[in-house]
Amino acid sequence: MIISNKIQKLIANQEGWTRRMFEEGIKIKKMYGEEKVYDFSLGNPDTEPPEEVQKTLVETLSNPVKGMHRYMSNNGYEDVREEIAIYLGEQHGVPFTANHIFMTVGCAGGLNILFKSMLSKGDEVIVPSPFFWEFKNYIENHGGAMRLAQTKKDFQLDIEKIEKAITKKTKAVLLNSPNNPTGAVYSEESMKGLVGLLNTKRAQGQDIYIICDDAYKKLVYDGFQLPNLFALYDLVYAVTSHSKDLALPGERIGYVAISPRIPDYELMVSGLMISMRTLGFVNAPALFQRIVGKFQRSSVNIGEYAKKRDVLYEILMEAGFECVKPMGAFYLFPKSPVPDELEFVRTLQQEERIMVVPGRGFGRKGYFRIAYCVPMEMILKSREGFIRIRKRYMKR
Amino acid sequence: MGISKSISKSMKSSSWIRAMFEEGEKLKKQYGPENILDFTLGNPITEPPREFKEELAKIIASDTKGMHRYMTNSGYEFVRQEIADYCKEKTKLPFSKDNIIMTVGAAGGLNVVFKALLDPGNEVIVPNPYFVEFMFYIGNHGGVMKLVDTKNDFHLDIGKIEKAINKKTKAVLINSPNNPTGVVYNEEELKELASVLRKKRENGQRIFLIADEAYKKLIYNGTVLPDVFNIYEDTIVVTCHSKDLGLAGERIGYIAASPAIQNINPLMDAMIFSNRILGFINAPALMQRIVGKFQNTSIDIMEYQVRRDAIYDILVESGFEVIKPLGAFYIFPKSPMPDDIQFVRELQKHHILGVPGIGFGRSGYFRLAYCVEMDVIERSRKYFNEFAK
Repeated sequence: MIISNKIQKLIANQEGWTRRMFEEGIKIKKMYGEEKVYDFSLGNPDTEPPEEVQKTLVETLSNPVKGMHRYMSNNGYEDVREEIAIYLGEQHGVPFTANHIFMTVGCAGGLNILFKSMLSKGDEVIVPSPFFWEFKNYIENHGGAMRLAQTKKDFQLDIEKIEKAITKKTKAVLLNSPNNPTGAVYSEESMKGLVGLLNTKRAQGQDIYIICDDAYKKLVYDGFQLPNLFALYDLVYAVTSHSKDLALPGERIGYVAISPRIPDYELMVSGLMISMRTLGFVNAPALFQRIVGKFQRSSVNIGEYAKKRDVLYEILMEAGFECVKPMGAFYLFPKSPVPDELEFVRTLQQEERIMVVPGRGFGRKGYFRIAYCVPMEMILKSREGFIRIRKRYMKR
Repeated sequence: MGISKSISKSMKSSSWIRAMFEEGEKLKKQYGPENILDFTLGNPITEPPREFKEELAKIIASDTKGMHRYMTNSGYEFVRQEIADYCKEKTKLPFSKDNIIMTVGAAGGLNVVFKALLDPGNEVIVPNPYFVEFMFYIGNHGGVMKLVDTKNDFHLDIGKIEKAINKKTKAVLINSPNNPTGVVYNEEELKELASVLRKKRENGQRIFLIADEAYKKLIYNGTVLPDVFNIYEDTIVVTCHSKDLGLAGERIGYIAASPAIQNINPLMDAMIFSNRILGFINAPALMQRIVGKFQNTSIDIMEYQVRRDAIYDILVESGFEVIKPLGAFYIFPKSPMPDDIQFVRELQKHHILGVPGIGFGRSGYFRLAYCVEMDVIERSRKYFNEFAK
């Protein structure tokens, strides 16, 4: 084989059913036509960037400035980092400076340089499960090992399970709230529980960092406020992107925010610079850096997502599915009517032309994920299909 | 300690670079940046071609729906088709869009290639002197870099490469036009290299030729870059538009894998997968849309050629021993004293910043990056001349 054994194994393990479903999906789309297939499988938002973002882009490119497409420092433009630091300072009441902000190639890029800079071979990262499967790859890319800690029934953190998962090798806990795939937003209470636990470990001489994947941080509904983790705990890295809030996923732009309370944080900045360079990112795309600094307070229309969540949640309830009502992101994670959710998901696809992702893709069998970042019309049209399939399974 | 062992090792081993950088910054503060002649950075100064800027403004003004969304991890199909057409025309080989993967620059592309190819302990042969980042790109994915010295004229020493090959050799990585030497490998030496690799192939060992062609359009005096695709079958070319279109900060490039590679599908799949899990996901969307149309375009290379001529003249007139580079924007003269770090420090005293050859694996030399304003080159004449005395 010409490719690496490692990659071959990864592809074989992960892509088996994904690929099969993907290919079946394409076949179904061809057979019935795109508009008769209800594809809830992708977290690719159908929204456009806010109008002001588009306007600023046009202005920036119609008045090109000399040097605007050149390399800059590996951590990004200083004025952009400054703008973000001011915003985060206001939000969190913590004294961020431009040096605490590191511009990255999206969240995925940010997590990779962070793990590369933090993890020595065999170091462990605890991840609450169900979880975004890519986390495993990001951690293992750099010699780390992922340790899963199951969440509670409502998908909130189970502090006892996290405590049990901690070993001498634990270097970090990776949180993703609002969560993909469950849509759960961790409560202040569960965050405080986690912080209490990690502070105990810290007093015993083990520093465990919290890494927050904040990719969905602006997609929070019903006026809920995300707990201010930077105020609760010292050792925090927050990784975010503008894929969702500014609807720029293809442009690969995000940043890492380093808590000013991390001792010797400058060392980490130097480490991140090396990782950014050597992993081949070099710097976050120049043009979009210039744009996003100004739009820290903006967001796509959250109300639209909230409405879609409500409508879809109602449909699932009406059909008789068991499902925790999500507080954020654009995912629902209902229970499958049968333990083998892969079988259910394939039936749903074949008989109702509704495409979703089986829970095993997120480390939790018996559930399935619906991504509702789709047109409202598709949600409404899918109603009958969800109701029919649930009935059919009730008879079994 | 909050940082990993390997990163802290990298930090220590590159501490002299930092020290020199800081000395340089100090000098700039002390004398004013305009009085320091900085030849250390390979940051291209040219602006993208006018037509490129116009096209960019036009595309963004069109406000096409969905233009900032995710696309498939390998990049937009139509862009890959445009690039495949260009490769096809250039090489007369049957390139299709499936031979192309859009990447976050050449650095991103090389990481993707190595992640897909290397298992722990696999070796990659790199001609020395070399771009030091190669060591990291290979090491990141468990590979081991094996340096092989080039000849006195910085051309490939095929005998040494052949000797360096063992059972663990997975690839040879070349960079032509070369950073730091500016050398362009000729067709003959590449053919010799190909025949060595083919011999190994007949014995059941497949060795890939990976060509970093980041500087492929910066080539002077009408020199033609040999077409590696027509020289060796198992060839992967990685390139970017940092230099030819002046887009270094936008991070856009691509991988082109030869249509002659047998059983290519698993390789392409593995690279696309690596592009995803390394966190690149896809090359920046907006820039993808544009670069496909500018495959035949380049910034004005005469801008660089006159700079090369000027710096070369100055060095020769000051008595330096130096090979006239045919491409890229680097020149790699011999240091007049054996300790190149000490020599570069001496240069700093004369307000000139360069990089010691040890930073590229070759002591006793130093690198000047001449992608600077012409005036900086002219002003360096006086100081280099002083050295002659």
